Amino acid sequence: MSDQSNQTTYWKSLNELAQNKEYKNFVEREFPEDATELSDQVSRRSFLRVMGASIALAGFASCRKPIQKILPYSRQPEDMVLGEPLFYATSMPFQDSVTGLLVTNVEGRPNKIEGNEIHPGSNGRTSIYNQASILGLYDQDRSRSPRQNNEPTTKDDFVSFAAEHFSDRNRRILFIDEANSSPTYHRLKSETLSEFPNAEWVTYEPFSDRNAIEGTQIAFGQRLRTVNHYDNADLVVTLDDDFMSPHAHRNSVENSVKLTSRRKVESTEDMMSRIYSVENAYTNTGSYADHRLRLKSSQIAPFTYALAAKLSESVSGLSAFSGVTNEFSNHNWINTLASELLSNRGNSVISVGLDHAPETHAAVAAMNVALENSGNTVTYLSVPFLNDRDEYNAFLNAVNDLKAGAYDTLVMVGTNIAFNAPADLGLAEALSNVETKIHLSDYVDETSRVSDWHVNRAHFIETWGDGHSFTGERSIIQPQILPLFDGLSEVEFLSILLNGELTSGYELVQNTWRDVIASDFNRQWESVLHDGVHLESAYTQVPVSISGMFSDSMSSAINDESINGIEISIKPDARIYDGRFANNAWLMELPEPMTKITWDNVALMSAATAEKIGIDPERSFKNNEVPLVRITAQGETIEIAAWVSPGHADDSITLTVGYGRNNIGRVADGVGVNTYPLRTSQEMFFQTANVEPAGGTYEIACVQDHHSLEGRDMIRTATLDEYKENPDFATYESVHGYEIPGMKEARAEGDERGPISLFEEQYGPEHQPQWGMTIDLNSCFGCGVCTIACQAENNIPVIGKREVGRRRIMHWIRTDRYYVGDADNPTAYHQPVPCMHCELAPCEQVCPVAATTHSEDGINQMTYNRCIGTRYCANNCPFKVRRFNFFNYTKEYLTSGDDPEIIQMAMNPEVTVRFRGVIEKCTYCVQRVNRGKIKAKIATGSRKPEDGAVKTACQQACPANAISFGDLTDNNSEVSIKKRNDRNYVMLEEINVRPRTSYLARLTNKNPELA
Amino acid sequence: MSKTYEYVPEPALVKGNHDFKDITAMVTDINLRPTPTGWYIAFAISSLLLTVLLGSIAYLFWQGTGIWGLNSPAGWGWAIINFVWWVGIGHAGTLISAILFLFRQGWRTAINRFAEAMTIFAVMCAGIFPAIHVGRIWVIYWVFPVPNSMAMWPNFNSPLLWDVFAVSTYFTVSFLFWYVGLVPDFATIRDRIKSKFGKLIYGTFALGWRGSNRHWWNYEKSYMILAGLATPLVLSVHTIVSFDFAVSIIPGWHTTIFPPYFVAGAVFSGFAMVLTLMIICRKIYGLEDIMTVDHIEKMNIIILVTGSMVGFAYAMEFFIAWYSGVEYEKAIFILRATGPYAWAYWIMLTCNVFSPQFFWSKKLRRNVAFTFFISIVVNIGMWFERFVIAVTSLSTDYLPSSWGYYSPTFWDVATYIGTFGLFFTFFLLFLRFLPMVAVAELKGVLPQADPHNYNDKGEYVEPVVEIPEPYNKPS
Repeated sequence: MSDQSNQTTYWKSLNELAQNKEYKNFVEREFPEDATELSDQVSRRSFLRVMGASIALAGFASCRKPIQKILPYSRQPEDMVLGEPLFYATSMPFQDSVTGLLVTNVEGRPNKIEGNEIHPGSNGRTSIYNQASILGLYDQDRSRSPRQNNEPTTKDDFVSFAAEHFSDRNRRILFIDEANSSPTYHRLKSETLSEFPNAEWVTYEPFSDRNAIEGTQIAFGQRLRTVNHYDNADLVVTLDDDFMSPHAHRNSVENSVKLTSRRKVESTEDMMSRIYSVENAYTNTGSYADHRLRLKSSQIAPFTYALAAKLSESVSGLSAFSGVTNEFSNHNWINTLASELLSNRGNSVISVGLDHAPETHAAVAAMNVALENSGNTVTYLSVPFLNDRDEYNAFLNAVNDLKAGAYDTLVMVGTNIAFNAPADLGLAEALSNVETKIHLSDYVDETSRVSDWHVNRAHFIETWGDGHSFTGERSIIQPQILPLFDGLSEVEFLSILLNGELTSGYELVQNTWRDVIASDFNRQWESVLHDGVHLESAYTQVPVSISGMFSDSMSSAINDESINGIEISIKPDARIYDGRFANNAWLMELPEPMTKITWDNVALMSAATAEKIGIDPERSFKNNEVPLVRITAQGETIEIAAWVSPGHADDSITLTVGYGRNNIGRVADGVGVNTYPLRTSQEMFFQTANVEPAGGTYEIACVQDHHSLEGRDMIRTATLDEYKENPDFATYESVHGYEIPGMKEARAEGDERGPISLFEEQYGPEHQPQWGMTIDLNSCFGCGVCTIACQAENNIPVIGKREVGRRRIMHWIRTDRYYVGDADNPTAYHQPVPCMHCELAPCEQVCPVAATTHSEDGINQMTYNRCIGTRYCANNCPFKVRRFNFFNYTKEYLTSGDDPEIIQMAMNPEVTVRFRGVIEKCTYCVQRVNRGKIKAKIATGSRKPEDGAVKTACQQACPANAISFGDLTDNNSEVSIKKRNDRNYVMLEEINVRPRTSYLARLTNKNPELA
Repeated sequence: MSKTYEYVPEPALVKGNHDFKDITAMVTDINLRPTPTGWYIAFAISSLLLTVLLGSIAYLFWQGTGIWGLNSPAGWGWAIINFVWWVGIGHAGTLISAILFLFRQGWRTAINRFAEAMTIFAVMCAGIFPAIHVGRIWVIYWVFPVPNSMAMWPNFNSPLLWDVFAVSTYFTVSFLFWYVGLVPDFATIRDRIKSKFGKLIYGTFALGWRGSNRHWWNYEKSYMILAGLATPLVLSVHTIVSFDFAVSIIPGWHTTIFPPYFVAGAVFSGFAMVLTLMIICRKIYGLEDIMTVDHIEKMNIIILVTGSMVGFAYAMEFFIAWYSGVEYEKAIFILRATGPYAWAYWIMLTCNVFSPQFFWSKKLRRNVAFTFFISIVVNIGMWFERFVIAVTSLSTDYLPSSWGYYSPTFWDVATYIGTFGLFFTFFLLFLRFLPMVAVAELKGVLPQADPHNYNDKGEYVEPVVEIPEPYNKPS
């Protein structure tokens, strides 16, 4: 595949260099078959020469300033200083909303994503999907050209085909697309529909907010978007709604920012919101809640109706539920929740997961209205592009029509129905009944392969586009690079169908925006481009009232009962969503936030359910083998690894989708099990199933083998009331009942910094900033975005399932998850653990070659060049944060495949890639620190950047704002203030390593009635 | 009140009333005889194993340490275990030759050559591991304080660096000590060997030894000085090896008992290894009169003592873990005995503490077959001791989140087995070409070397003077 034409498409101005002789030599010589150039014959001198050349050229490969031959810009672009990154606003579309982003662009090459602080869906924060999208851009497995009948062809061929095919305006065309919020897209869609009178257009998402929308239709007679304002809510009741996780809610970043903003406790005066979670699988939101009740998915609806019935006794507007009795009517949670909700009228939020029935959503909406939350903590927005029909039913009907041969052309815009449509639809049959099938997609996927035409879609980072945030603010999607594989955006694709010729995305988007920006277009356009968002364009809030039809619509649903026996609940996957991110290695290797599994999907169940099925709930510490189960539902059977998840509801099994792919790409292929066949058009989310042990085992690579804290004090917690009584609950003395040994003696010598030491301990000088970090466990909910952000920033390799299974994961920041308490219904705690940058670092003392040392500004530095790889430092690290390159992971990661140059472009040119045999670990993003110090030095003459000027990648990404980083010599810096917080503690204080990274203890706002 | 004291003569150190000539013949004929077929077979097997070692190392260098079962948390595994185990084995030789020499233990002469050879080869096997276990072997020389333009020195705080010095010093001194002891015997073989080439080689190594009084005087002095130098090294090398663990902060490693405990364990395993090899060799080479059951018994007593010291150390570790009140220390010891590696812990305890207790019985101490069995058991036990120390502490340390099980891969096992190839290849060459008993020294402890003209009863005995015949090749 590495033919010249491909290279020219993405190399552009550097193409000339790419073809020169040195480069070719380099490609051959840097890493010839394994490490031959490093054999013993090579003297140190020539070794250095080889390495020097490699670095020079590797720099070129990762677009650092090429040393060999610099071709200066004949016209220097404005603002461009070689080596200085530029930041451009754009936004990432995900279903029908966009998140505002800021892309770091180094010499024309985007390589890091941050949130856009002005954008309401981001607030400067990001989700794992946002962070990982940069690797999605540089995925060499993306489709590289249009294909006709599975043979590569050219864009021109497609354009001429489309021009001819669609010149017949009377064609019976069915459009199936994904949810999309782009105004330009919707403009083209309506133009298309008016141009083609016989066309039908339906939208299908395997996981959409259709139930929520239909819920408001039932409750209010209007199709509205529900927005919960968690920052205004003193009380949050979530009914199986994992609204903090990006796979469960499109607006998870904003939700997390807002919810955690109510959990920032700076002193004993502060209050916290209270969160109740009722859920099936243990989710991140559930782990963040103060109280958690585990219920089967099918019990959520009866629970909701029982709650509504209870509330109907006290508030008006819920008469539809009065008198409802079911299994939960006398549940103690119903009484507690009802009284809590009543006493927090107007300040509470009830939310329910998107996989629950429209009626349940309607009931929740009615409760929010009845409790006067509506308009205050819950708002309902009218979304202009929502149809007046149930889009899912429209899709089902369209497929039936397709089967009946009602259409001659099927145009699929970005969707992958052959993979993710309900299994009972007979989609294969439907597809065979249509003459011409055209499919726009990122990969040559299941649907592309059965289509006549596949068109390669461009990544959002390389195209013009636009979209609305979840709450409606419009953004422009600004390309950061020309399309690597010459793909088309959705709007360009539609323009071809419509006009028979390609109109550039830029023109299409600008044309749409001319309607929004009335005057002074160019100026305002640039201002929106710069800001990344047009805040004035938010969706309008709609006043709502309970529809007259409400009681009637609910009458049958309120008597719904839960599933008897074992149910399966099918969810989008935390990492690869519905399968669209399946080829993203960062996501694939990210430990699933709750189970810590990588590279697989499993059947989650409680220990009791496992025993009931007949498999051993105990997992061996000694190997990675877990038993397989056979799940049969609706006549379809799959075999999948069973995973006991403490806190999962009994008699329920959670499955995630998106796995079990073939011929998608090197990451996605052969990973996990496809669970889509268990979904049917009527039972999309949960249903009864027959589960039995399948015999045999399956290897799972889980990064955490031990889940109990063993009573240790790594995580320190208290309830809010306990904290107010005893603000010092998190100190070593409070936890253990005695002071740290050696502290008294240290004080006697006038040293308050830690227990007495044998040596005169030197700290960094005052004229340097002294870096430190705090991680607020009261904010962290374990989403894992810090891990991906760190991976993107620091060029951390992906190592694959086998190596992860051998416990060699390379992530510099991991999130430990501990279960505490009752084995069936434990509390889960998350704890991100990067390098602690110990003041008296045990790693530094034991390295025989002084490869790890302390910097003047207090950073525990790792000198890769000096490291010989004894791993002694890793052994002696009490936090086990040091990572070792057991193999040449970087080589596999960055030089495998046909076009390794592509993934190399994703690398941060400011961070060295590490060779085999060296240790690596968190550096406090030393490249950012030093950039900040240099800037400060130039601007003020002091080496100390002002507070907030230096942000670590993990800190910047965190949607919970849990991580603070800064200068400890500045008493007013955020991190200094946090370190003075009563809840501040360091792990393993008694071993006197004096970590620079400390934690703020976790608090829970318990209801004394339930505690 | 009077009591009669009876004179109990010390048992002769060499049985069978051999004279000097016999001794010379018994030992050096082994080197002078044509190579027996059995030796070729043994050598072929050990060379094959050596090839396994070289192959494993080559693959390791090619691929990286990832071919082993190492992981995070267990950054050290079989390589370091094998290192400590082989170094431990390498303790017996120098202890026997140096410390027992200084204490004038005449019985050492029967086994010292043999044990020293074993020491040197064991240290060679040991020395391989710290070198090859690093991630970037091609820059291993950075651990030496080589002056360089960066003025970059190694980190003298690091126990690994101390290790480099300790082990290399130990090897050098042990080797010199061994060589110096060999000089008179080289001369003996030089004088007896027929082949010209042999004469040249042995003659070269004999350094012109003529057996003059001055030679003997110099020899005795240098031997004594080297013994004096080697004695502290016996204690220091394993002390410093134990610092690799004791200086770290990992629970189960960070204990002050490690130096004496490691030294005792090393002597324990070293003596066991000497016994294993000796019992085979005395049988094959017909040296039962030189390496007698008395020797075996004496060594068994040392095994019993050191085994019990090790047992005491195990108990002490538990006690201190409890007494210190340190949570992590307590946890690690409970985990050792009951956790995922309990099987290894109980193998260790059975082999190291329980099995030597049989040697309280004189009958068993003097039972060659039983001793052989126990000597193997002890070496298995000592390997597991290092396994338990290295692996359990790492795999279940402070943060439960990082706990992980360590299992070796094929390459771990192959490398370990391969070192036996290295060891036995050298050992077989030693048996073939060098006198396995210090002939000159042994003669010094023969009754004939200490002639008394009066017997036990005080009667005059005519000295027997025998003029040795020139050497004739035995038919």
